[in-house]
Amino acid sequence: MSNIIEIKNLRKIYEDGVEVVALDGMDLIIEEGEFLAIVGPSGSGKSTLLNMIGLLDTPTSGEIWLKEKNITKIDPKERARLRNRELGFVFQYHHLLPEFSAVENVMMPLLIAGVDKKEARERSITFLEEMGLGDRLGNRPTQLSGGQNQRVAVARALANHPSIVIGDELTGNLDSKSSDMVYDLLRELNREMNQTFILVTHDMKMAEKTDRILRLVDGRIVCEMLREGDGFVTRDLCELEEDHT
Amino acid sequence: MFEWTVANRHILGNPRMVLFTVLSVALAVAVIMVLMGLTEGYRENLISNTVENSPHLIVDPKEDEDYITLYRTLSKIILDHPEVEAVSPRLIGKVAAKYKDNVEGVNFVGAYPHQEDKLLKVQEDMIWGDYYDLRFKMHSAVVGTDLAEDLELKRGDDFRLIRQNRSVRVTAAGFIETGTGLDQTLVYLPLETAQDLLGEGDVVSEVGVRLTDIYAAPVIADDLNIETRYKAQSWQEQSRDILEQLDTQQVYSYLFYLLIFIISGFGIANTMIMIITRRTKEIGILMAMGATRGSIMKIFILESVILGPPSALLGGALACVAARVIGTIEVPSEVYIATHMTVALDLETFAYVTLFALLVNLAAGIYPAYKASNLDPVEAIASE
Repeated sequence: MSNIIEIKNLRKIYEDGVEVVALDGMDLIIEEGEFLAIVGPSGSGKSTLLNMIGLLDTPTSGEIWLKEKNITKIDPKERARLRNRELGFVFQYHHLLPEFSAVENVMMPLLIAGVDKKEARERSITFLEEMGLGDRLGNRPTQLSGGQNQRVAVARALANHPSIVIGDELTGNLDSKSSDMVYDLLRELNREMNQTFILVTHDMKMAEKTDRILRLVDGRIVCEMLREGDGFVTRDLCELEEDHT
Repeated sequence: MFEWTVANRHILGNPRMVLFTVLSVALAVAVIMVLMGLTEGYRENLISNTVENSPHLIVDPKEDEDYITLYRTLSKIILDHPEVEAVSPRLIGKVAAKYKDNVEGVNFVGAYPHQEDKLLKVQEDMIWGDYYDLRFKMHSAVVGTDLAEDLELKRGDDFRLIRQNRSVRVTAAGFIETGTGLDQTLVYLPLETAQDLLGEGDVVSEVGVRLTDIYAAPVIADDLNIETRYKAQSWQEQSRDILEQLDTQQVYSYLFYLLIFIISGFGIANTMIMIITRRTKEIGILMAMGATRGSIMKIFILESVILGPPSALLGGALACVAARVIGTIEVPSEVYIATHMTVALDLETFAYVTLFALLVNLAAGIYPAYKASNLDPVEAIASE
């Protein structure tokens, strides 16, 4: 398997009066098709790391490589293009556009990519049908339940067949039944399409469903666990505990 | 173009905010159109009034003379011009009119009725009597309606016209209503009667000329000035002061219109900023989905510009309604040059105002759109 993401000595320092080190010289390799969870207490740098990988934010120093290309300092247009083609985002709150129906929301990344409206609609309908939302195509976010909205958001993140799907606490706002459903869906997609999934969560139960768990504290990876059969093995000595936000 | 889709949906999703924005621009458009229409209407009224109620061209006596003696010869020379439609030698002056105990100052016009009627269409304004009767009734007069009222003069009453130590007794043979301030002072007399009143013999004070093309007046005036030693003056020259004043006023008006548009522009910008503040998170999401800063800017500029055409149409409609209402209001002729104010609305004005409204919408949208496109996606998504 080839490396899809390579992070080299990544640092992010916020200087807003007080200097806050969000990422402290991080090195990380993520391989294509991985199903990865990032855990850690609040302020540990999980979201910052996710924003860096998602090309929403730029590091203070260090490098980010995507598919063997250094993307640390690419121009804003190219960043936007990569976000559209290579990355799919799912947020804690679905963040769907309120004035648009389910199918229109899923169509949006395709339209941004310049896909023809008709084709975008057809592809989006297929996605939503696969998510079990075939009868909810024309509904707006306010007319859908939390779980349904989150499934629409997943469909939207996947619409452009991105190589990496990023989830920030994507089940954090759902009841356990809905979150299991969303999770199983992602797992299935990961197996079928070999897409890479990077999920930030503080829910260890959820994290344990992935193949690799990284625990961040103070902007560093303090613990890494890899799936082996039904359990995990740790590379270093570390304790995994439930984090509370 | 997804930007168009998003912009459109945002607009439709905020009906109340949009309504107020559209209204503010529409009102600006309407106010400006009505004001421009009033100015233009005033100008048109002034011109048509000048052209209808006074000769297109007036030939005055030579510089060192008070009257024109050879008016018959002069009339013939003037009539030789192909653009000249009618010529009327006129003796005009100010006298006092006395009826019973009422005395009013009047402006008399002594002329040959058949010539004067061709010059100023006098007969059309007669509300009683026949102007042509003055040809055969030496001591008769056609009196302005308001003047008759002021003098309490009834049909067929005799009254006196007094000038220094001379006076003539005339009969009110007709009443005339021009719809202008002239109605308060005007008295038409047969030319011979006017000459009697003046006591200067067979003279006139001017020769009035009517032309087929009113805008040819300055050229013909120049021709006549070269041809004869009499002083010819076009209507444009006679009303030059007031026309110039209108032009000066127009400059101030344009500044005023600009201010109105700027104010409404701030209104739009304010609404756009409110829309953008409410949609900060959404802008972040669109960026996360790959929308470029350029696209975000385009969305919000479009949103601002989309509001232009409906605002202009609504403004135009409001202006039409206002024009109608204003047109029905009666105004005293001392205040305005006609009995009703005219709001002259034309498509050209509407086109210019619309274009300007669109520009204002565009300009007002640029700053908010720029702000939106410069949002940090991470902060935008995290915003509440």
